[in-house]
Amino acid sequence: MFIKANNSKSNLYSLSAGLLCLLFALPLSLSAQTDTAKKLNEVKINGRHLPQIQTPTPSQQISAADFDRYSAFNVADAIRNFAGVNIKDYGGIGGLKTVSVRSLGAEHLSVLYDGVQINDAENGQIDLGKLNLSNVQNITLYNGQPSEICMAARSFAAASVLSIATIRPVLTAEKPYQLLLGLKGGSFGLINPYLQWQQRLNNNWSFIVNSYWEKANGRYKYKVNGDGSDTSSVRTNADVDAKEADGALYWTKSDSNKFNLHINYYNSERGLPGAVVFYNPTSNERLWNKDFSLQSGYERTWKNSLRLLVNTKLSQEYIRYIDPDYLNGTGGLDDRYTQREFYLSAALSYHFVKNWEVSYSTDAALTDLDASLYNFAYPSRFTLLNVLATNYTLGKFRLQGNLLNTYINEWVKMGKATPSRSVFSPTLMATFQPLPSPTLQLRAFYKDIFRNPTFNEQYYFSAFGSRNIKPEFAKQFDLGFTYTKAVNSFLDYIAFTVDGYYNKVTDKIVALPNKNPVILTIINLGKVDITGVDFGFKTQTKLLNGWRGVFSVNYTYQNAVDVTDPTSSYYNQQIPYTPMHTLALNAGVNYKNAGLYYNQVLSSYRYYLSQNTPQNLIDGYSVSDLSLVYNVMAGNKPLAFSVHVDNLFNENYVIIQSFPMPGRSVLFSVQIKI
Amino acid sequence: MKNLKSSLLLATAFTLILASCHKDKKVTPVTVPVTSGLYVLNQGLFNSNNSTLTFYDYTAKKATSDIFSSANGRGLGDTGNDIEIYGSKMYIVVNISSTIEVVDAKTAKSIKQIKLFNGTTARQPRDIVFYKNNAYVTSYDGAVAVIDTSFLTSPQYINVGRNPEQLAVANGKLYVANSGGLSYPNYDKTVSVINLATNTVTATITVGVNPQNVVADANGNVYVLSAGDYGSNPSSLAIIDDNTDVVKSQTNFDGSGMIIQGDNLYFITSANKIIVYSATSHTITNSNFISDGTAITTPYALAADGTTGEVFVTDAKNYTSNGAVFAFDKTGKNEYSFTAGINPGKIALFNR
Repeated sequence: MFIKANNSKSNLYSLSAGLLCLLFALPLSLSAQTDTAKKLNEVKINGRHLPQIQTPTPSQQISAADFDRYSAFNVADAIRNFAGVNIKDYGGIGGLKTVSVRSLGAEHLSVLYDGVQINDAENGQIDLGKLNLSNVQNITLYNGQPSEICMAARSFAAASVLSIATIRPVLTAEKPYQLLLGLKGGSFGLINPYLQWQQRLNNNWSFIVNSYWEKANGRYKYKVNGDGSDTSSVRTNADVDAKEADGALYWTKSDSNKFNLHINYYNSERGLPGAVVFYNPTSNERLWNKDFSLQSGYERTWKNSLRLLVNTKLSQEYIRYIDPDYLNGTGGLDDRYTQREFYLSAALSYHFVKNWEVSYSTDAALTDLDASLYNFAYPSRFTLLNVLATNYTLGKFRLQGNLLNTYINEWVKMGKATPSRSVFSPTLMATFQPLPSPTLQLRAFYKDIFRNPTFNEQYYFSAFGSRNIKPEFAKQFDLGFTYTKAVNSFLDYIAFTVDGYYNKVTDKIVALPNKNPVILTIINLGKVDITGVDFGFKTQTKLLNGWRGVFSVNYTYQNAVDVTDPTSSYYNQQIPYTPMHTLALNAGVNYKNAGLYYNQVLSSYRYYLSQNTPQNLIDGYSVSDLSLVYNVMAGNKPLAFSVHVDNLFNENYVIIQSFPMPGRSVLFSVQIKI
Repeated sequence: MKNLKSSLLLATAFTLILASCHKDKKVTPVTVPVTSGLYVLNQGLFNSNNSTLTFYDYTAKKATSDIFSSANGRGLGDTGNDIEIYGSKMYIVVNISSTIEVVDAKTAKSIKQIKLFNGTTARQPRDIVFYKNNAYVTSYDGAVAVIDTSFLTSPQYINVGRNPEQLAVANGKLYVANSGGLSYPNYDKTVSVINLATNTVTATITVGVNPQNVVADANGNVYVLSAGDYGSNPSSLAIIDDNTDVVKSQTNFDGSGMIIQGDNLYFITSANKIIVYSATSHTITNSNFISDGTAITTPYALAADGTTGEVFVTDAKNYTSNGAVFAFDKTGKNEYSFTAGINPGKIALFNR
């Protein structure tokens, strides 16, 4: 099984090499065009778009038109206003940004890219700061899982799902192409030209190519608290140089019969500025990433309601990390990691009667990791997921449920592999519409899910003794309602959502330091009880003499306490990096083809360690951004300008201990559509 | 409009509530230790800048946390590794911040901060000993820094082996444990001998893999405890004759955190027991020093008081929360205990 897959992998790799060269040439040739490059932002000014009616599982969406409104530069920025979201940001343009939903930790979030998971088996978390917005159509966060049942099995297999949908070509025979040229730049020495080329080939075939180059010195001023200094310093070794080329080929016979092929190459080099250590602020650590993926999808719906969905993905992620200051006497650290994955997925659904749909999904994935480390385990993992799901509507009730089976088997070249395991995970959800109109909906879900230990947790420096780490389980309970109403007065609509939730984490995987720096103790030790409330409100005014106001606010309350050991000094105390209160509000006004928006994110204090002592406290913060968007026609070409001022009031704050966040910064962008 | 207004009002109210949610960091009043007591150096956690100094006052029977910050308005920085008192000064060796904080031993007030850097690369000091008004500090980049304790000028460096850990003075010589600890699995296994009259390396002695702790007794023995490679080579104890600089004996030995007081050496075993080893008979004389069953979650560091015969054991708990210090009388009975900071790794006794 294993050898066979390896062979097919290498065949596909060589096949893709040619395509890769072609796409990678784009960002290189692009820099020459930047002088004339312009940028456009679509700002939807007309037309009422009622927020979509909420589904059994809470979901929140942001679309490309609103990225400027939230002053977003990457995926992490775009979703930071969502309720229940807690971003761990190490600061700056190249700093790691991961997201934890409802206090479950980044490893419990599955990030989908056009329906296929971006998997990191090594660390279990995705750096959302690495994901550029230039080819993104919309981003949706689902607590639990998306509400459809004909989807890849992996979409059922995480505590929450962040689904990123890319832009698809929408072209006509009259104008069979569209070219979009843009340039962003500003603070941090940032320069970010990008290009999008959409082309219609014939009635059935079209393609889209996206490419960008992001270069920044990443420098920003910060102030250190606690080292006795009162002047600000400049964050150095924070430079980024990233290039990405992404191509997608679409074949569309009809809405019910279509195929797509995606190819993506990402290459970056960055400095890692590291923790700001008192009296020793210098870091010379560097990181290189080379990621490649090839994915395809086929979707077919027959007249008898039978629906088929097939996805495949081949990916490779290469990392090189150096630390020349590491005092090992041989010139420092120079580590390389290569992760590969081969993934196949199929889903089939059928309506037995009009109000009863059943689906079956199966996913198989083969993942392996190589590392230039002594005594490394060289683990390979085979994962097989099988899901049986059903969706039943009865009057005002909609009931949905699924049962997931996960089978995992691992091999290693050194040491001992974790024994294979098979786990069943159920999910149940329901909605109820108490009134004749769908204005008010009640919803509830229960989901029992787990995350498997990552390769690092299971095998990193584990040659001293095999670690037999069990999966980390999370049970989620949610009860809430949504109220969406079109108002016929001054306001277009109002939309409320409120959800209360209770999550219980057992067998939480905890890494403990040790007397011995080489040996990390990793055990299934933790138990966490999470009680929370997510609240969301959204509205906009009617268009009046070209004016329109927009407003949204999200609030999150999270009480996430460690209930591992009643005798410990941190029993029943808030888990690290989890604020009790988070508030995100956004207000703006559009006038004709201009928009001015104000965004604010507030977080109450957190603790960076389990013990909630004043020494371990990190102050709360309030960060405001202002953005201005202006659209104009250059001849018959739409031209868009925007300016973001981030951290408007120059707040000095940290999210992660010893990693200061940037003060005020400015981002300009211009885009033209041809 | 009314709706919008009320929403804005609501949001403003939230903002105010949240803004008032900031908890003020507690400011500990400056406490001046005027009486005898002990200083506990807490390592804190890597990259967290939370190394602290706790002072326990024998008379008041009270521990004061983070007195370095209180006395100096700034923190120790990252990973304090060693603390020693020499004359009226106290020296705190801060590993990741790469500094030696020289303070008044009575008040913890800073006298000088000595930075140990090679260009911008931190040398990472580890351990300190004194001899004839000079301080000798192991520097993790393969050297011993020599600092004049009267003038506290920039250090001179003597090159030794890789990643030197502890050092000890015996017979006019300095014995330095070269661990090579950052080169797993390719550890060092030597001790450099430095003639203190000339400050030059006169011998390099081979001991067990990954030597960490060095102490000397009054009978001409230097004890070197090696941690081993966590694989086929277990931890071991070598005894060096300080006259001939020859290894007299080397045996596998289950222990860590070695200290010496008079004719007794104390170790922490892998089973978290405190054992006593005789410097005269060279045998374990007590395989469970704690006689009253006091439970210590994670024994982390040891210290002993020569005048009272007391032994102090620190407890690192789960390595990420505040630790504790337990004081035992010479028969191993618990006298008292107090809370320290995160990872209490070294104790300095202050006797007025």
